[in-house]
Amino acid sequence: MTSIIANNVTIDFPIYGAGHRSLRQTLFARTGGLIRHEGTGRQQRVIVRALDDVSFTLRNGDRLGLIGHNGAGKSTLLKVLAGVYTPDSGSLSVDGRVSPLFNSAPGLDPDDNGYENIKTCGMFLGMSSEEIDRKLPDIVDFCELGEYLELPVRTYSTGMVARLGFAIATAIEPDILLLDEGLGSGDARFAVRAEARMQALIQRTRILILASHSDALIKSMCNRAILLEKGRLIEIGPIDEVIRCYHERPAEAYVA
Amino acid sequence: MRPDYATARADIINGIRAFRVWTRLGWQEVKRRYRRTFFGPFWATFSIGAFIGGMVFVWAPLFKTDVTSYLPFLSAGLVAWTFATALISEGCGTYTAGVSLITQLNFPYTVLNFMVVWRNIIVFFHNVVIVVIVVIALKVHVSWQTLLLFPGIIIVAVNGAWMTILFGMVSARFRDIPPLVGNIIQIMVFVTPIFWFPSQLGPEAQSIITYNFMFHLVEVMRAPMLGTAPSLLSYAFTIAGAVIGWIVTFDLYARFRRRIPYWL
Repeated sequence: MTSIIANNVTIDFPIYGAGHRSLRQTLFARTGGLIRHEGTGRQQRVIVRALDDVSFTLRNGDRLGLIGHNGAGKSTLLKVLAGVYTPDSGSLSVDGRVSPLFNSAPGLDPDDNGYENIKTCGMFLGMSSEEIDRKLPDIVDFCELGEYLELPVRTYSTGMVARLGFAIATAIEPDILLLDEGLGSGDARFAVRAEARMQALIQRTRILILASHSDALIKSMCNRAILLEKGRLIEIGPIDEVIRCYHERPAEAYVA
Repeated sequence: MRPDYATARADIINGIRAFRVWTRLGWQEVKRRYRRTFFGPFWATFSIGAFIGGMVFVWAPLFKTDVTSYLPFLSAGLVAWTFATALISEGCGTYTAGVSLITQLNFPYTVLNFMVVWRNIIVFFHNVVIVVIVVIALKVHVSWQTLLLFPGIIIVAVNGAWMTILFGMVSARFRDIPPLVGNIIQIMVFVTPIFWFPSQLGPEAQSIITYNFMFHLVEVMRAPMLGTAPSLLSYAFTIAGAVIGWIVTFDLYARFRRRIPYWL
């Protein structure tokens, strides 16, 4: 039985080297939760609460949409579910093989050729050598890169890299699929095929979690939704209700 | 921080099991150095070779030794030193270099550590060519004890593995560590008997050598390359270092592994 049970999950990001503007900006851009200062003087630390007391349960067949403004905690929640961040307090139990598709090609090296990258990325996406060998014809066939697969990936156009990444990423057999927005994928003709392949992947996935700003995308893919705001879970329920709630929230709630 | 020994143990065991991943990634990185260059990683070998070739004629008279005994000592020592210290200095960057993977995926981070160790073993076998050439050219005595080089490499690699985890973690949190470590290594090469023979230091200063862990790491590889067995003291230090190093690192890894993605 595939399931995700989150109980009072809380994530705090301590901001290291807050004196450096660039680092500070990247972290603030990523979270936007409640900012607090601990300690005094030189000991002072800046901590951003990215997720605050989030609880929910997902089972087989659940397709969950994550809704919320920039910095509401959508991506952080996906990363917690992916096992990247361990909750500071609360508990999370995930039963099933999780495939995060945030970056379609983890470990991609521009100096390696297409075939080598299929192997490396496949391994990082959790595929065994045998599984990659078995999926290889399908990946090669789908990305339609032909002889380009024998050339270093740095010679590819942006669209071609996206195609390769998409073909690898969608070859997996996940129980739980985590998606941040859609995956980018090449030109118009390819987009149609990509759409079909994505649907097939979602069909064979038991639990889908999708973070998106597009109401239409959420409506087309999900059957439940969560509204996050400043790291807090505001609403969970049927999509239409949650989307309505999202649009009715007062404007001040946007500002982190 | 409360230690999570189960996760740390699982990480290390799964990391070892994923040997196909890290041997492949290690090779892949060496192969990348070959791309579009004919000699690839051998350029690093040439650079060590040129250094030895240039300095031996100054230092042999300076240290009042003859070239035929000094040259093998210097080349074997420098090649072993390069391997041992590369594990430390490259180990510092293990997790910072893996940032895109660590902040996106949940996988045994030790895969990255073992990859660094494996890659450096491959590079060592490139550099060892210098020693082979010197040994053949100067007809250095080769014996059964030469085979002790292989256990020596394993001992250094096992030490290197905990070093890359420890230094990788500390460097991810405190960004001053990599340059500091670089500095220390630079000084250590002169303090450790690489350019001079241990016997030249005189009896009263021997403790500088005896308690120098780096000396023993070098010695378990250098002595076999020169056809002799390393001293039991060197084995004792390096094996104890591996055991104590792994225990301390394991405990720290259990405490701080989960913080690594937050530090990057």
